[in-house]
Amino acid sequence: MPKTMTAAEICFHCALPVPADCKLTVEFEEAQRPVCCPGCKAVAELIRDTGMSQYYALREAPRPGTGRPPEETAEWMVFDRDDMLAAFATVGDEQAEANVYVGGMYCAACSWLIETTLMKLPGVEAADVNPITHRLRVVWRMNEAKYSAVLATLAGLGYEPQPLAPESATRPEVAEQRTALKRLLVASLGMMQVMMFAVGLYAMDFQGVDADMQHFLRLVSFFVTTPVVFYAAKPFFISAWRGVVARKPGMDLPVSIAVGSAYVASVYATFARGPAVWFDSVTMFVFFLTLGRFLEMRARHRSIDRTAALSSLLPNTATRVAAGESSVVPVSQLLADDEVVIRAGDAIPADGIVLHGKTNVDEALLSGEARPQPKEPGDPVAAGSVNLDGLLSVRVTNTGNDTTLGTISRLSERARYTRPTFVTIADRIASYLVVALLVVATLVAVFWNIVSPDRAFVITLSVLVVTCPCALALATPAAFAAAGSRLSQLRLLVTNGNAIEALSRATMVIFDKTGTLTRGMPEIRSVLVLDQQFTEYDCRLVAAALETASSHPIARAFALDAKLPDVSDHEVDVGRGVRGRINGRQWRLGSANYVGGGVTADNNSATHVFLGVEGTAVAWFEVDDELRPNARSTVQLLHQRGIRTVLVSGDRQVAAKRVADELGIHELHAECSPAEKLDIIETAQRAGERVVMVGDGINDAPVLSGADTSIAPAHGALLAQTSADIIMLGDSLEPVTTALRMAKKTMRIVRQNLAWAIVYNALALPLAAAGFVPPWAAAIGMSASSLIVVLNALRLSRFE
Amino acid sequence: MSILFILIPLALLLLGAAVWAFFWAVGNGQFDDLDTPAVRIIMDDDDKPGDGNET
Repeated sequence: MPKTMTAAEICFHCALPVPADCKLTVEFEEAQRPVCCPGCKAVAELIRDTGMSQYYALREAPRPGTGRPPEETAEWMVFDRDDMLAAFATVGDEQAEANVYVGGMYCAACSWLIETTLMKLPGVEAADVNPITHRLRVVWRMNEAKYSAVLATLAGLGYEPQPLAPESATRPEVAEQRTALKRLLVASLGMMQVMMFAVGLYAMDFQGVDADMQHFLRLVSFFVTTPVVFYAAKPFFISAWRGVVARKPGMDLPVSIAVGSAYVASVYATFARGPAVWFDSVTMFVFFLTLGRFLEMRARHRSIDRTAALSSLLPNTATRVAAGESSVVPVSQLLADDEVVIRAGDAIPADGIVLHGKTNVDEALLSGEARPQPKEPGDPVAAGSVNLDGLLSVRVTNTGNDTTLGTISRLSERARYTRPTFVTIADRIASYLVVALLVVATLVAVFWNIVSPDRAFVITLSVLVVTCPCALALATPAAFAAAGSRLSQLRLLVTNGNAIEALSRATMVIFDKTGTLTRGMPEIRSVLVLDQQFTEYDCRLVAAALETASSHPIARAFALDAKLPDVSDHEVDVGRGVRGRINGRQWRLGSANYVGGGVTADNNSATHVFLGVEGTAVAWFEVDDELRPNARSTVQLLHQRGIRTVLVSGDRQVAAKRVADELGIHELHAECSPAEKLDIIETAQRAGERVVMVGDGINDAPVLSGADTSIAPAHGALLAQTSADIIMLGDSLEPVTTALRMAKKTMRIVRQNLAWAIVYNALALPLAAAGFVPPWAAAIGMSASSLIVVLNALRLSRFE
Repeated sequence: MSILFILIPLALLLLGAAVWAFFWAVGNGQFDDLDTPAVRIIMDDDDKPGDGNET
């Protein structure tokens, strides 16, 4: 009787499946928790015994570990050298400060763990982690602590530290955020003050006018409004002017006209002792606009912060060989024609030509090709790809931005900027409306000047105030701002203001396979032993031993933390399998044909790996890349909403088809290059589909940019995130449907807001033009209509 | 009512001081990180080593 095993237990620490034969546990909170290996046991005990048990409570989801074995941490020693410190840290007399990009961070729990652990190192003065940007700032005393100790500690916790060159405090985003904050404050304080004075002014309309007090309050309002207009609203004027110069007037033009003309008219009324001032409307308008822009800017910066991206695929250091001597240098110091040595397992630091050595290189991130590429002397290698097997000596041809990696990143940048900008409905309507209102107001002024010159000014002003397109202008930004902040609470970061509108119209969702629908880490799902001479564990041991020679991604699934039998005559037959002699018997691991007779399995060879001895199959393994949680329900939900789903993959047909069938995806394109993926998107777009692309991976970056909207999982290759409109945090695929529902709801609210604003204006305008609305009532009407719009938008912040 | 002619300018002076203080704080980098403080409050670090089993 064949027996099947499925890994059921999950490691308490790292969330990987616990091998059936592993009986290790860790005592935690009065219970024995299963762990998958001695390493996890040790880490869990370390965390428990140092009083950091909170980590398990705070972390949002257990993460499969990516930590490197501790013995490799010796590589960090190089960062203690003076020249390296000079390049990667700010060195003072006694203290040094450095910034580290911490890869593999997931949530606040990680930042807490990192900070607490580092602070316990002797000599560390400060450690601050920003969980959003994944940056650690660490300060240590030079005579007591070493940078390498900090980095090794981080690596030991399972993170991937990436030392960053010191950044000046005046990074462009920092400077931009500071200015924006100041503008926002000036606008908000100004608005509050002017509103207060406005109450006094309106009260006089009821209680009789005290001319001196009225003039005084207007002067004070003028005094407070002036910086709001000239400082806080400055970007709107500049942008409007740019639009005029470029003959492409945007939303900022009517905004500027409204703010500018209301301000000028109010200043005139103040000094000419005219009938009314509108400083309150001006400041409120500017405040809401500034707030919208500020929230938008924050969302944008979050994506920029992840562009540590490009460099994080590259190693920090390279081993340069010059005149027979090798030395470790920072990658930034590499030049063309340098000769570098790359050990197995390391990333290649720059584009180059292989001088010596034979190896396989994993270029998955660059080309999407999952199979390792063989490289021989004379072959080109690309920066960011990983040297899998042999020692390699490479002559550098291109470094930094000139590398293939740099070019891909520039391409996706360009694709991002040349993307057609969707002018939102509100912008268009509000722009036309402002022009129309100015025309109407002029007509009203002319008409009343003829009929009744005394009342002409008051009525014209009432018309201008009551129809101030505040509600219209606010309708969209308020809803988008509320949606954006709610989405970020729901673990979705919106980096592009157009994303929500485009998403709400989506008719087709295209998924990438590896790393998007699946976790990107193959594992053994089940083992079927055909020959009862062997136990399941025997088979796994033999398979693990055989696979040590292979660098195929699938080999990772077989790795076993145990004493493996020795293999002689070890050979890899590329594309078919591996073979070798164990205890004098010839074993083969690979496809059914390769292993030999006696196999009566189905032909689903992509996911079944056979083990055979002397031409007879003894077991097969079902190897699969695990689907992300909720992948199935996500796809079903999309179908319920009438959205067509498509799977595009660089992977082989069989493997891709399996995933597509399991999830019920409508359409499948396998073995696609990035260019073909882009082609599929463009064909669909020409057929009238609104395409949402969900994918990660560097080769997807231009593809993501080509879609109407793109969503990327946060722990995909970082570069892809910078071109994605929406970034999904966490492990589940469910946010895709959340984002779609939210987008639809947001657009519904936008339409309600617009409808309300238009109805309000349509009713108020004739009344005001007919002279039935006094200025104070006009102001109340205008504020109330704006308030209703904002409150309606805020309903989005309770979205589930 | 005429007291307002003094009180309002006084309020404006305070406003000016508040704006100045805020500008100083922004320039000093105190508002550069707007994300971490929100989550920092939920992390307490008064666990003593070894009491992980009791929590």
